[in-house]
Amino acid sequence: MTSRIPNKIADLPNSSPRFIGQEVERVEDRQLVSGKTEFIDNVSLPGMLHCAILRSPNAHAKITSIDTSAAEKMPGVIAIITGEDAKRWTQPMQTVPEGWGTLCLATDRVRFVGEPVVAVAATSRYIAEDALDEIIVDYDPLPPVADTQKAADAPPIYDEHESNVVFQRKFTWGEVDAAFTDADKVLTDKFRWHRLGANPLECNGVITEWDIIDGTVTTRGSFQSQVNMGLLSAGALGVPSNRMRVISQPHGGSFGGKGGPRGTIITALLSRKAGGRPVKWIEDRMEYLAGGAGQSWDRFYDVSLALKTDGTITGLRVVLLDDLGASAEGFGAVSAAKPLAAFTGPYAIPVAEYDLTLVATNKLPQSPYRGMGPPPHNWALEQMVDLAAVELGLDPAEIRRKNYIPKNAFPYTIASGNEYDSGDYEAALDAIVEMADYKALRREQEEAREQGRHLGIGLVNTIEPGVFDWNAYAIVGSQQTGVPEGATVGIDIMGKIVAKVGFSLEGQGQYTVISQVLADYFKVEMSDVRVVPQDSLSAPPHFGPGGSRLGVAITGAVLGAADRLREKLIRVGANLLQSPPEALELSDGMIRIPGVAEAQIPVAQVAATMLARSDLLPEGMDPNPEATYVWTAAGRTPADDQGRAKSYLTAANACHLVLVEVDTATGMVEILKYFIVDDCGTRLNPATCEGMTQGGVAQGVGAALLEEYVYDDDAQLLTSTFIDYLIPTIYEVPMTTKKALVTPSPYTPLGAKGMGEGAIHTTPAAVMCAINDALRPLGVKAHEVPASPRRLWTLLHDQSVG
Amino acid sequence: MKPAPFEYCAPEVLTEAVEVLEQNEGDAKVLSGGQSLMPLLNMRLARPEVLVDLARIPELDYVREDHGALVIGAMTRQRTVELDPMVREKHPLVYEATINVAHPQNRNQGTFGGSVAHADPSAEYPALAVALGAQFKAVGPDGERTIDAEDFFVTYLTTDLEGAEILTEVRIPALPDGAAWAFTEVARRHGDYALAGATSYFTLGADGKCATARIVVFGVGGTPVRASKAEQAMIGEAPSAALFASVGKAVLDDVEEPQSDVHASAAQRRAIAGVMTERGLADAARRAGIAI
Repeated sequence: MTSRIPNKIADLPNSSPRFIGQEVERVEDRQLVSGKTEFIDNVSLPGMLHCAILRSPNAHAKITSIDTSAAEKMPGVIAIITGEDAKRWTQPMQTVPEGWGTLCLATDRVRFVGEPVVAVAATSRYIAEDALDEIIVDYDPLPPVADTQKAADAPPIYDEHESNVVFQRKFTWGEVDAAFTDADKVLTDKFRWHRLGANPLECNGVITEWDIIDGTVTTRGSFQSQVNMGLLSAGALGVPSNRMRVISQPHGGSFGGKGGPRGTIITALLSRKAGGRPVKWIEDRMEYLAGGAGQSWDRFYDVSLALKTDGTITGLRVVLLDDLGASAEGFGAVSAAKPLAAFTGPYAIPVAEYDLTLVATNKLPQSPYRGMGPPPHNWALEQMVDLAAVELGLDPAEIRRKNYIPKNAFPYTIASGNEYDSGDYEAALDAIVEMADYKALRREQEEAREQGRHLGIGLVNTIEPGVFDWNAYAIVGSQQTGVPEGATVGIDIMGKIVAKVGFSLEGQGQYTVISQVLADYFKVEMSDVRVVPQDSLSAPPHFGPGGSRLGVAITGAVLGAADRLREKLIRVGANLLQSPPEALELSDGMIRIPGVAEAQIPVAQVAATMLARSDLLPEGMDPNPEATYVWTAAGRTPADDQGRAKSYLTAANACHLVLVEVDTATGMVEILKYFIVDDCGTRLNPATCEGMTQGGVAQGVGAALLEEYVYDDDAQLLTSTFIDYLIPTIYEVPMTTKKALVTPSPYTPLGAKGMGEGAIHTTPAAVMCAINDALRPLGVKAHEVPASPRRLWTLLHDQSVG
Repeated sequence: MKPAPFEYCAPEVLTEAVEVLEQNEGDAKVLSGGQSLMPLLNMRLARPEVLVDLARIPELDYVREDHGALVIGAMTRQRTVELDPMVREKHPLVYEATINVAHPQNRNQGTFGGSVAHADPSAEYPALAVALGAQFKAVGPDGERTIDAEDFFVTYLTTDLEGAEILTEVRIPALPDGAAWAFTEVARRHGDYALAGATSYFTLGADGKCATARIVVFGVGGTPVRASKAEQAMIGEAPSAALFASVGKAVLDDVEEPQSDVHASAAQRRAIAGVMTERGLADAARRAGIAI
């Protein structure tokens, strides 16, 4: 039986909702700001040991010997594992595509700087790190594959593969050749997006214990998706999935950077070797930067647009070479596939082509990062649109307006197969042009140029695919359609509500959303709702946060569960009111007969009746005032042979307008003004939406100007601390002027759209377009992200070095 | 990121600290504010056998004036210097350099002496010290000696201090009367070490032409660089935008071989040092009400 999940706030059983759509205080924050939230490093278990990991200093080498004998004799050292233990007890970690992974510890060969080689469990982290000093590993260096563009022809880094090409295929959607043959103008340019990625405040951390009597492995940690962590770890450890218990602790952000199963597998093996004692591993920042889940998107783009003279874009070709690093364990290939969900951005480009090559090199394997792939794609596309505007003598705003998908064309299927649910991109453009006073900014730019100052304007509107689906990644081997998210909602004998879910705190405020939804559904206070996270074995089917989905998915889950609970309450109410169930409704916290004033009973009373007055229940009635619902997006389709699928359920859009100044003498860029018009459908909690947007701007500014993992020609990491890998701070990130438009989704619970990735889709493109607008009179163009002062200065002053 | 084992000692008198250093020469390290040393210890890039913490020696913590000069005890927190009204009023260049040092949180812990003794060539205080002709007082097994700023900084992270010597005091002369001054730098983020920077001051004679000029650039070599050629280019000239531009260019000749790294090339650092000099001189003139 399907549940009735309202698509509009007005359809909730509440004549005056007080919480949904309002800027309520977040239920998570009191614990967080008072330091009471229990992060993984606060957890200490009896008998717990501490793990330290010896990592490869070489990018590519054969391991000729490992001597742990001196370390084993040190007081306090309890267990040491090497690749031999991993070989004996585990399977290689799962990869996408399949067959490009390794064991959790290197065996005969290391393939990147920072790859784990030996792990130690000791009575303290100090002793464990001292023990690493006493371990001798002999390496026989091999030539590293460091150059992405030469990787395909370099000797393979895996003996079992013929080359370093992990994936190569061209996808063609429509008559692309014809579009380019018939075009009035064809424009082509190349772009380079350098490696960067997630850097949550808290790195990865786990505590794992292997109960060697009953064969259960329990791991707790800062896991983004506990079910995913469970499946990946159980597979590698050879543990049945129902004996792999994963507990997701509250964690200090993720952004995709919380890592694969390596930490769990290593600590599980140490626990096994230490007789089942719990083993804690807290990843430090140097481990994270060199060997963690912080690196993504190492890309070379070659993009072509087919155009009519009037500015209409008739075709798009994208050739992408992406450097996955030393394995496919971290879903880098998925990042390259995701642009299919919004390949042509907000534009009605009828045909497109994606020529995709993924290579392996001796760098850290790529991991997911907020946005999961489209941010570089959006930048390349938007830079091409700006180029078209210049070449055709059009204003950047007008060429965009001309090509937007019109608002009456939704739902709209894009060339790469995904369907956009709703949108009004022209309204967003109109709103930002007015808010920013675009014409005045152009005048300001002119006046500044006359004074020798170099101001530039970037104007970009991007689509944020929301509510991810595995089918979007079918081209690289993902098999599933649908991502279930479940919730159990119950009312106790005192009338208080408990919602049980399968994820922990990560920062986005989903517990608040759940409390808002249920408080309005049952017409109680938000404080009457308590959200209780369950572990991977006790929660209903779930995924957790990821791919801009959880706000929508968990709203669907709790509304579905609430509706099932409503049905139970009505059956009981019908017995109490001596009426047929069809005559009753839930409204404003009452089970009642519409139009009959006295015929109503508070929900809390009905629930209490179920638990305490079995004599008043209908015959055969389940007396549990609790219900579970597992939500998944309707109407998703498996991918066709060209990867086309209805995948991501929603298409939010955001229009950004940014004014920058380039200091040509130093190469520094300053952001002077920043405006955002954002449309993510119904805003469940506007304050949270604004926070997510602003956070995305921060990471976007980092991408455009600061963040970069630099490897040298020997694939040695040169940016191994936060002195060199530069995270934007409050001083570098502008507080943006924001306006919200609301074009609800016709398909989702309450009309909300996925919006958690937010501005990272847009900000890099907007800032880069602005920089190039500033540089245009100087005859140079920035083709690389980040536009660091070194790159800009070299471009302006020393083009021979370029 | 846990340090290798070390012995920790926190003497309460200076002579005892010197003794410990002497007994463990080569294996002991002085801990002052810890803003650079603690990360190096945690990363096991520094592995001293003994750590001598100066935090409990009260005699090293003071800011005072002596015959117009500013005298700062080596263990004085940078934040103390920053918040001292006398410093702000009478030694504005010291104040300006201080607020460019990292962030308030670092300045709460970081010490004046620690920063200069660490001798990072991109740091603010070493450049300030060279620009103002500071004198460094050090105490060692053989007693006390005074070192001039230009002799104190030897090369990257290296000073003239002997292994068992402890920096105790820095004496910073006041700016000449009526001097126009500036401190300018470019950092990739607020509070980072500078890609390059410049600090300068000049005075005008009765004829309205530059009588004295002092220019120091930093982040462009192993030590702060006194830009002598640039200074010479100012003397006897009337301040003007054109003069400042040519002085900025002259700085390029004073800089030998700056470091090149992921943040800036050598050529870029040299150019930024010149630009910072030029912009700093313009700032200085503006602040002093000198028309250019």
